[in-house]
Amino acid sequence: MDKNNEDLTRVISITLRAAVIISMFFIVAGAALIMIKGGGDGHTISEISSYNYNSNTTLRSNLVPLSNLPAGIFHLDGIYFIALGLWVLIFTPVIVLISAVVDFVVSKNYLYVLLSAIVLTNLVVAIFYIGPYLHLTS
Amino acid sequence: MTEVMTLLRFLEIVAGGVIAGIIGSVTGLGGGSVLVPILTLFYGVPIIFATGASLISTIATSAGSAGTYTKKKIANVKIGVGLEVATTLGAIVGSLLVTVVYKYALEWVLYLLFGIVILTSIVPTINRGKYEGTRVVKPDFTSRIFQLHGKYYDQKQKKTIEYIGIRWWLGEIIMFFAGMLSGLLGIGSGALKVLGMDWAMNLPMKVTTTTSNFMIGITAATSSSIYWYNGFIQFYLAAATAIGVLIGAIIGSKILLRISNKDVRWVFFAILSYLGVEMALEGLKKGTFINIPGTERFYIALTISAILILSLYVIFRIGERNGQKQ
Repeated sequence: MDKNNEDLTRVISITLRAAVIISMFFIVAGAALIMIKGGGDGHTISEISSYNYNSNTTLRSNLVPLSNLPAGIFHLDGIYFIALGLWVLIFTPVIVLISAVVDFVVSKNYLYVLLSAIVLTNLVVAIFYIGPYLHLTS
Repeated sequence: MTEVMTLLRFLEIVAGGVIAGIIGSVTGLGGGSVLVPILTLFYGVPIIFATGASLISTIATSAGSAGTYTKKKIANVKIGVGLEVATTLGAIVGSLLVTVVYKYALEWVLYLLFGIVILTSIVPTINRGKYEGTRVVKPDFTSRIFQLHGKYYDQKQKKTIEYIGIRWWLGEIIMFFAGMLSGLLGIGSGALKVLGMDWAMNLPMKVTTTTSNFMIGITAATSSSIYWYNGFIQFYLAAATAIGVLIGAIIGSKILLRISNKDVRWVFFAILSYLGVEMALEGLKKGTFINIPGTERFYIALTISAILILSLYVIFRIGERNGQKQ
């Protein structure tokens, strides 16, 4: 069992570090693209850099539809580069937990299969259901 | 021209993030707890965007540092995952509460709560490791059921340390509140996690620090999506702070290795207590309970935090000296 736990730790460690490097690449590249192009996704650079909460033009996360992500990346749009970088970070724990569930299944530690499955469910429900649902109602 | 200005402002926020990352990692409180006060008090960022940015940088630093820690096999992934049951639930409750807070314009509550959290975090953070290796406890029924044991190699003591955790249920209860605060304020709530694992479950400090680091990423990711769809994440800020805090945390961990004089950490605790008092005062001002002009408030905050940190310093240093004599 300890042997398995060590494998799990190694997989998690590699996943986490790879995720940070990938996401930082997209965030830095996205910021650079916005500066070079003077904006992104139809928003001007002053709208992007504004943090006036009450202004309608301030670029906030709910104004960027994630369905446009592939097209945005393809067109080298800085906004979608940053969005992808941020979502890589948000998704990393999902991958970590899936590897934890798999590992506990392999080591036949059923109590922890259950516990890690509960955590994964909480995470997935929050990311894929509660968030988008709030978006629809607001 | 605007491009140059935007770039400079971007770098300015990155710099703020670096400072937050350094203070956060040297004190052990985490970058987010320092980032939000810096952004709101000095950059004039609305707390809603500050907490959104902080949440993202919390995931980044958690992943960045947990990558190294888990590699050294100190973090206990099993105990971490078990406790995440409570923190993720707490995070969902916390981030849903935030949507209500903004709907009814109750931002002042967040400022006040933030101030209180920082100030109450200082004592447990200073106190860390005081009982390390001194308390030998009898395993209880949860130690066996939830397999709360492990071992790690301590490089300073040059030996393998085995440990046993107890009171899993109490740890879970505290973790629920840690998760809720994380969802409410966009922070890792390291101090509560310490309370849960050090004090309630009796785990060694090295294990709790590294396990907590691994956990806060999962907790923050749970809230992130809810923040995202509510529009609480501002790209420009989130991008700049994620880069800044990550760099700051790396620098901070290097500084931490070189600090041999304990007094140096107190400088950082002093900064922290000032930020805490300022946040609390800002909350009282936003809730229209007090109305003090800027410069006066600065001196009031400075005085309160100076008295606070000096008295803490005296209490702890005298306590330490007495401890050494015995």
